[in-house]
Amino acid sequence: MFAYLIASGISTGALYAMVAIGLVLVYRSTGHINFSHGELFMFGGFIAYTFFVILGMPYFVSLAVAVIGGFLLGVLCDRTVYRPLIKAPALTMVLATVGFSFLIKGVARFFWGAREGGDYVAFPAAVDPAPIPIGGIMVFPQQLLVLGGAFFFVVVFTIFFRRTRWGKMMQATAENATAAFLSGIRVERVYTMTWGTGACIASAAAVLMAPLTLLSPDVGFNLLLRAFAATVLGGLGSMPGAIIGGFLVGIIESLAGGYLHTGLQEVSAFIIIIVVLVFRPSGLFGIHKLRET
Amino acid sequence: MRRLFSRRNVVAAGLVFFAVLPFVANPYVIFIGNLALMYILLSVGLNMLLGYAGQLAFAHAALFGVGAYTTGLLKLELDLHYGLALVAGVGLATVTGLAVAMPALRLRGLYLALATVAFAQATLWVFTHWNSVTYGGAGFRVPPLDFEPFTPRPDIGVYALTYVIVLASVPLGWNLLRSRVGRAWVAIRESEVAAESLGIDITRYKAIAYVVSAMYAGTAGGLFAGMLGIVTPESFDLFQVIVHFCMVIVGGLGSIWGGVIGAVGLVGLQEVLRAFRHLQEIAFGGLILFTVLVIPGGAVSLLKRYLPGWKEPLRRTEHDE
Amino acid sequence: MKLSQLTATVGAAALAATWISIAAAPARAETGVTDDTIKIGALGVLTGPNAKFGDTIYNGVEAVYRQANAAGGIHGRMIEYVREDDRCQAAEAVGAVKKLIHQHQVFMIHGGACSNASLAAKPEIVAVGVPWVITASTASSLTDPVHPRIFTTMLAGWMESYAQVQYAIDQGMKRIAIVAQHDNWGRSRYDPLIEAFKRQGIEPVADEEIAPDPSDGTPQALRLQAAQADAVILILFPKAAAVVLRDTYKIGYRPFLIGGSTVGDVGVFASNVGIPGAADKLHAVSTIGYTADDPAMAEWKAKVEAAFPNDTFNIYHMFGIASGQFVVEALRRAGRDLTRESVSQAMTDLSVQTDPYAGPITCTPTNHQCHNTAAWFGLVDGVTNRVGVTAVTR
Repeated sequence: MFAYLIASGISTGALYAMVAIGLVLVYRSTGHINFSHGELFMFGGFIAYTFFVILGMPYFVSLAVAVIGGFLLGVLCDRTVYRPLIKAPALTMVLATVGFSFLIKGVARFFWGAREGGDYVAFPAAVDPAPIPIGGIMVFPQQLLVLGGAFFFVVVFTIFFRRTRWGKMMQATAENATAAFLSGIRVERVYTMTWGTGACIASAAAVLMAPLTLLSPDVGFNLLLRAFAATVLGGLGSMPGAIIGGFLVGIIESLAGGYLHTGLQEVSAFIIIIVVLVFRPSGLFGIHKLRET
Repeated sequence: MRRLFSRRNVVAAGLVFFAVLPFVANPYVIFIGNLALMYILLSVGLNMLLGYAGQLAFAHAALFGVGAYTTGLLKLELDLHYGLALVAGVGLATVTGLAVAMPALRLRGLYLALATVAFAQATLWVFTHWNSVTYGGAGFRVPPLDFEPFTPRPDIGVYALTYVIVLASVPLGWNLLRSRVGRAWVAIRESEVAAESLGIDITRYKAIAYVVSAMYAGTAGGLFAGMLGIVTPESFDLFQVIVHFCMVIVGGLGSIWGGVIGAVGLVGLQEVLRAFRHLQEIAFGGLILFTVLVIPGGAVSLLKRYLPGWKEPLRRTEHDE
Repeated sequence: MKLSQLTATVGAAALAATWISIAAAPARAETGVTDDTIKIGALGVLTGPNAKFGDTIYNGVEAVYRQANAAGGIHGRMIEYVREDDRCQAAEAVGAVKKLIHQHQVFMIHGGACSNASLAAKPEIVAVGVPWVITASTASSLTDPVHPRIFTTMLAGWMESYAQVQYAIDQGMKRIAIVAQHDNWGRSRYDPLIEAFKRQGIEPVADEEIAPDPSDGTPQALRLQAAQADAVILILFPKAAAVVLRDTYKIGYRPFLIGGSTVGDVGVFASNVGIPGAADKLHAVSTIGYTADDPAMAEWKAKVEAAFPNDTFNIYHMFGIASGQFVVEALRRAGRDLTRESVSQAMTDLSVQTDPYAGPITCTPTNHQCHNTAAWFGLVDGVTNRVGVTAVTR
């Protein structure tokens, strides 16, 4: 039982981590939390659905299109929401991203909501749907794909930040936007890039996850809350923290559901947020001081 | 002609409008009027916390829910008089508000936002799972209210009660904001460091903001339970907080009258949105975006700009708007 | 000057208030009925994730009404069907029902989706005495005890739950467990389910919970397996049900699964789950007697899809068609002198065999939960088949 719970916790945790990465990316460079991040995730999933199921394209083509589409949506969010409000107080930004989330949720429901007679659509697995044995337990190949996807993105991002010019510019802007601007970095382009990149990881996560659950216009919000828990647990603003936090939230949910009561599975993320913020607001790996906003 | 729409006249017209409404309108319009009045309480209270004290807290719908649940349950289980149940509801909501404030005082900005989002969700979970007390996800019916000998119609009774409470508590809020407390809140909002160096007890005034806004939310919740005759958990989810935020933003952040206008405007708008059917979400999201992008100061900022007599003390400075 | 201004504003406000009240014109002979029209209101969720329980069903109802209108109406009167959205919220439902009754001035109400919203609307309907035929809300307290003007054409929540327990026992199951979502929908079935267990004198061997929108069901699956349940009753929406099915299958645990009407079209659901074999041991109880692609439904499928080009014909339309046929028959029986009283009287003693249901909708003076024929569906050689029909009693 323990092995199963840990395995499924890791698999959902990988998903939370991927959503959290995008959230933290945007938070680090802009100091704002994108409340529409869950909906960007959802929309990416539906883009892939359109290409994979409706148009019958290959899975990896659909994944690529969803990642590009997610990027563009992130850029749209930057241009319509973030840029005009760059100097606005945190509350205004929260409201604006919430407004944006309703907008895209409504659009998704308009196009895909009524398909298949429900408010959800089925997304066939990219790989063989039958479970396979690994180390004495059964897992779905799709779960391995989620894990592999998460690992892939973590590696790609580490390389991106450490080695590429864009990555370094993003790091610099996150550390100190004014200094970055003074040293010739076009900060506003970096912001656009950040929003786009955050959304494209979320899209990829959605495409990987969709075959394991069903896809509906309402999936975003719950994922967003889990990603909040992951980022808070890892220390708001810490990238490795968010990844480890994501896995931990997944595992805690799974263990609480398995050993204590299945009703606790749903609520553990909120308890994690409250407990961490009350007793250790900097999180497990908090390297940043408490920021004022 | 512009003087005709000065604040004094508009408020007077509003008072008369809401006073006449129950005598002339059909029950549907009366109900919507009652909703609008109740939301005025909620949004004025929220505006104190959000707009004046600058605390980005999402706990409001949960406190609103605590007020509704307490009032409804006391009426149902103990057959308490509605007035007493309402007072108890306000009391428990206030205590809960204080309980939220304790840890929340240590948190700022987005940390506070995330903590209170989690609190709101956890409260909702309690509403749906504490079966022996809250009747779980199915909620419970509140026994019909009795306003004899004043009126045989309970809906008009609740309406009148709401009207009177609004009449008392909006001026109360107005005065509070013009007092030392209101000035302290604005100082804290603008800069905690500066406020502290002025000798303002930040912890104390922040706590007051939570408590006062919880009182308003609890009152609104108690009235809500009486008005609907049913209490169910989904009336207090995070979407409702967004609606409340929207009222404050659309009306005008950091303005009592903004809160009033926002509440009445949004209730009216929700009725209009019914006609949008499947495009409701798009219309609602679009409205929020439009407001924060085009008229960030809310409706009241337009009134201030184009009409005389809408100036308020402690308004937000121009660069905020 | 000041005084005149105040008078002007007061006057304007009073005028506005009176103007609004004009909408509430005094009632005629019978509200909502003219020489050539009958106005019927639908109350329920029209948008958002639950719209299938409201709007989709009303499309089915409207298809029946249009057919009746095309055939010359009912005693020469055309049915007008107006819908108001309650957004699945109690507060909205009170507003919506008051709007239907006092603003639209409907003759009767035909609709009702989310149970909590319908419960919130009930007092107003009772106070005014509007006849109400419920299409989807399952909370038993809506129609039990009997109110002379309130009827339901949907299996009441307790019926599905009782049927599920009975079915498990009939299939020879000894260790029966539950997985439920505990939102308002789930509660209206979970509470009677526990009651049904008590009446049978047995205890569920496990009682697990899952969120309506979960990403993992492994803990639930493991606990069910640990409890050695041989049958599992699902009180779940398709989304949660798919996750539970997937994860029980994953851990290699194959209990007999007993679903509710939300997964009533077992074939469609199985293809949603997407894992071959995962739904083989699933039987689901359903309100309707046929699947959406059954040849018996072909005619209605064509009509609905012609009238509502955005819709794909599904089980929710079928709920609406059955309910619509019942109401049309009641209106016919009530005769040309149509009143709220006469139609309620007609319904009180009425039995109608509808196209989508396996048994007749039968109302009696002592029972207004008029539909009690549950059909069971399961996969036979990969195709959805009706595997049984039961009349539910308690």
